[in-house]
Amino acid sequence: MNSPETLRIRSEEQAARLPALLARAEHLAGAVLLGAHGRRRAGVGDDFWQYRPAQVGDSRRSIDHRRSAMGDHEFVREREWQIAQSVMLWVDQGASMRFASTAALDQKADRARLLGLALAVLLRRGGERVGLTGSALPPRSGRPQILRLAEALCQDDAADYAPPEHRAMIPQARAVFISDFMGDLAGVATALTKAADRGVRGVLLHVLDPSEEAFPFTGRTIFESVGGTLRHETLKANDLKHRYLERLAERKAELQQLCALTGWQYGLHHTDSTAQSALLWLYGALDTRSGGAA
Amino acid sequence: MTVFGGIGFTAPWMLLALLALPILWLILRAVPPAPIRRRFPGVALLLGLSDAESVSDRTPWWLLFLRMLAVAALIIGLAGPILNPQEEQTQGTGPLLIVLDGSWAGATRWPQQTEALEAQLTRAARAGRTVGFLTLTRPEAPAFQSADAGRSRLAGFKPAPWQPAPTDIDRAIEITNTLGGFDTVWFSDGLAYDGRDAMLEALQNQGSVEVYQTGADVLAMAPATYEDGAITLTVKRALPTAERAVTINAQGRDPAGNMRTLASVPATFEAGSTQATAALSLPAELRARITRFDIAGQRSAGATTLVDDALRRREVGLIAGRENREGLELLSPLHYIEQALAPAADLIDGALGDVLPANPDVIVLADIATLSEAEQAPLLDWIEAGGMLVRFAGPRIAASDISRDTEDPLMPVRLRSGGRSVGGAMSWGAPKTLDAFRETSPFFGLEIPEDVTVSAQVVAQPDPTLSDRVIAALSDGTPLVTRKQLGQGQIILFHVTATAEWSTLPLSGLFVQMMERLAISSSSAGIEASELQGTTWTPLRVMDGFGTLSDAGTLPGVDGADLADAPAGPNLQPGVYASGERRIARNVVVADTTLGPATWPADVPVRGLDVVDERPLAGWLLSLSILLLLADVVASLSLSGRLLKHSNAAGLILAALIYGPTQADAQADDSFALNATAEMTLAYVVTGNASVDEMSDAGLRGLSDTLYFRTSVEPANPIGVNLERDELAFFPMLYWPITPEQPRPSDAAYTKLNTYLRSGGMILFDTRDANIAGFGAASPNGRKLQDLAAPLDIPPLEPLPADHVLTRTFYLLQDFPGRHSGRDLWVEASAPDAEQVEGMPFRNLNDGVSPVVIGGNDWAAAWAVSPNGAPMVPIGRGFAGERQRELAYRFGVNLVMHVLTGNYKSDQVHVPALLDRLGQ
Repeated sequence: MNSPETLRIRSEEQAARLPALLARAEHLAGAVLLGAHGRRRAGVGDDFWQYRPAQVGDSRRSIDHRRSAMGDHEFVREREWQIAQSVMLWVDQGASMRFASTAALDQKADRARLLGLALAVLLRRGGERVGLTGSALPPRSGRPQILRLAEALCQDDAADYAPPEHRAMIPQARAVFISDFMGDLAGVATALTKAADRGVRGVLLHVLDPSEEAFPFTGRTIFESVGGTLRHETLKANDLKHRYLERLAERKAELQQLCALTGWQYGLHHTDSTAQSALLWLYGALDTRSGGAA
Repeated sequence: MTVFGGIGFTAPWMLLALLALPILWLILRAVPPAPIRRRFPGVALLLGLSDAESVSDRTPWWLLFLRMLAVAALIIGLAGPILNPQEEQTQGTGPLLIVLDGSWAGATRWPQQTEALEAQLTRAARAGRTVGFLTLTRPEAPAFQSADAGRSRLAGFKPAPWQPAPTDIDRAIEITNTLGGFDTVWFSDGLAYDGRDAMLEALQNQGSVEVYQTGADVLAMAPATYEDGAITLTVKRALPTAERAVTINAQGRDPAGNMRTLASVPATFEAGSTQATAALSLPAELRARITRFDIAGQRSAGATTLVDDALRRREVGLIAGRENREGLELLSPLHYIEQALAPAADLIDGALGDVLPANPDVIVLADIATLSEAEQAPLLDWIEAGGMLVRFAGPRIAASDISRDTEDPLMPVRLRSGGRSVGGAMSWGAPKTLDAFRETSPFFGLEIPEDVTVSAQVVAQPDPTLSDRVIAALSDGTPLVTRKQLGQGQIILFHVTATAEWSTLPLSGLFVQMMERLAISSSSAGIEASELQGTTWTPLRVMDGFGTLSDAGTLPGVDGADLADAPAGPNLQPGVYASGERRIARNVVVADTTLGPATWPADVPVRGLDVVDERPLAGWLLSLSILLLLADVVASLSLSGRLLKHSNAAGLILAALIYGPTQADAQADDSFALNATAEMTLAYVVTGNASVDEMSDAGLRGLSDTLYFRTSVEPANPIGVNLERDELAFFPMLYWPITPEQPRPSDAAYTKLNTYLRSGGMILFDTRDANIAGFGAASPNGRKLQDLAAPLDIPPLEPLPADHVLTRTFYLLQDFPGRHSGRDLWVEASAPDAEQVEGMPFRNLNDGVSPVVIGGNDWAAAWAVSPNGAPMVPIGRGFAGERQRELAYRFGVNLVMHVLTGNYKSDQVHVPALLDRLGQ
């Protein structure tokens, strides 16, 4: 299930169902890297965009004589400015993600990796550059990058709750954080504010197991974190339900608040719903909300 | 053992442990349930949350109660409770003698008696007593052994089909007196017999006596008699108690030869009477089939009565020469014979040609000299097949030349011409009387009345064989009755007339007795000693105490007088006895037997056999305890939340454990029908042999693929058909491999198969044995095929002719190899009038599809491909083998084409010839 090969195959399956996604950048200037799309189209910036009447200041060389010969005016042929966007992924590898309440459900980590890689496949198909946050795997294009991503995503972190990696953010890039956000929210806040400082916008995808939403426990119970570092004993688990749910709602509200402040988007996904819906949402979040069609 | 309220305890001190239950209650109540450890990522959110109250959930009262119940059941179970505990009845330590009546009267209740015996032995074993057995019907000196050794002998005790005789009692008393002191347990059959009191006294001299005797009535049945067209059956009982109805069954062989109940008749004992009678009227044919009567629900020799000649009325055909003398009844040649036979035989009148087809037992020819050739031949055949021809002499025979120079086949002796007359008005001598019958004669022992005289007779020629053939002679030694064996039958000649003209014999009672001895008539009035005087009877089949007949083996013969009179015993076992042609059934109970109930002195304790079994309850209670503990496991788990979402599954598992695997065989018929009919599908019969079925499936898959590639037939995946369950009508063809061990389909399945065959289906039988049997029974598969196909509606078959349409429905083939390359393939025989038309290359054969094709080439193996399309079984060698596989595929294609197109191809092949002729 967790080997790079199977993860990649499943990601490809997920990605195959969506049209190519072209990530939009709000700030063209900073993050533009020309020529990225040349792989799929002839020449860098060679695509026809429009003819416009020649203006003062246009060099003579830029006049398109074929078009101009059809009439009395001189026309300049403009080409499309083609761009590639860098997208950085952070998928929580913490031990708390390796949890599924029943055998029928995916582990949260599984689902997060799947979504992350599916998104990466989509983005690569659109010609974008995908990588991980931090310096381990900077955004690159091309198929081998998917393989490298799959491999990197399959590594497990021993710590219970991993804070988001916020170093080496490329300015004006996009970022996607996928996690259960059960750990300290200070790390998330730091990462988001730092990202906002660099003009990086992105998406938070909050992945939760249904049992974390429902808290269906009764009786005398000792709760342990998956990594075993935290422990809480109660004599009546059902008494805790209400307060637990309150805290969870607080946490969600806090995350949304953070997103609103930094211009990120917040999404909630449960492992008992389909991965497709989450991917669709990610598609929407990265594509349409960022302004303009692909 | 301590007894509380009907339940005994082997270890009553264990019950004190019950006092600990309340303490256990308190302890269990105080201890909270163990916590569950759960992995839960959300624990980070729980940190710092404290419980509202510091007391955990208490164990609920019902769970405590469950546990208490489990522990209580455990304690009580260990205390060894026994339901219906039995006090030691015969206290004592010395040897114990078990006396059995062992007569037929106890046969019906023999199993109960054996159980009671076993209980006695168990008790004796517990007390460490030695046990000896004494059976009064077969007294032998008992050997006192340990009770366990005695137990192994129990199976050997069988009731005898007689009552203890006085001699047996004497012997038993003798044996008892030689033994030392002992206690006695006497299992009585409930019938009185002579000498029982003496026996009891002898036993009481040795020690205490205890009697076990069933309270139920003993039933017996007297021999059946035939009177006025009905069989009279008499049932007797020992105790004249309340009104009681019994059913009498007449057992016999049905026309198929199986023993079954042919008729039943109820009989009712009036209150206070010991005898009940019933009359049963049956057709002669049915009556002749009855071999025994028994009482429903009784299984003893006494309640069974065997049937002999008394019920079997012989059919006698009477034929006389002179039929035209009206009104002279007393002069009719048949009058006296009719009188003698009418009460005991069924008479048939008519011409010989009419009588013979009725196959009577006896034909009487009264003074008929010659028979036509057309009559003589069938008559001879009839005699050789076991018929008895009885001829009477008379003026015609005396006047004819019959059997004069050479012996006529229908005459036992040669005759002198003219006969002789003695004691008449014109002769010198006095009428002759009869000589005493010789020992070899069937009439030996009959008393000859003084007044039987013979005044005229036909006289036998002296011959070397004559003395052997004479069975009755006159006082001067001239033969009166002669007899000759012919084949299985015999010819008997009375040298006098059947009327009173020549002798007074027909007027005497001797005549009737002679008829009986010759088994021409059968006595209707039971056996009488005088009548059987001097005869010896061989036992054919004898009854045991249960009334079961078995072959008599080498038992010695019995004197006739004893057979009638003497009580049954080891030397005269009840059964069927034979002497010559006659059969006599000797039954246990005869007409005048009375059954008396056994009565015992007041000082002898009498117990019934129906003792209530001791029933140890420990096992049940311990099981209950375990079940309760299991329930406690489930309940505890569900309480502590560990069964959270799996409670349904756990319940299911528990239910499955309790109810066992249920049949998940409810295949939705619709889905099967849809599968089978969505596309054309080949099918095979599931044989139950996994490897054969797998091969059939793979074979038909290969054939389906081949059809798909090469023809416009595009079958879906093959389907295995269960003949018992599945509908067959969906399949154009069934492949049926034969395995020797496959079960025979039920009748319903055969009905379905026949419907299938009649409505155009086809079955390809494959014996898979390379036809080594040639469809004889030489191979197990061949035998199995014959067995399986016997109930099928299969037309006549023939080896596939060279111009059968199967040779050219798709490919032109003459060989039909599979894994083997045997040649013969059997199909429906062509119509006998199929002829080759001039100019046609083929006969017009087989208008329809042959309903079966039978071969033994194991085609499935040749066709078989694995799911990835590779052949599964190597065929032949090298290229020749591949060629053989190819031919096998071609045969399969041809076969399916034949099934689907019928004789269409047969017509099509004629087209060139037709065109050719049209062109001319």
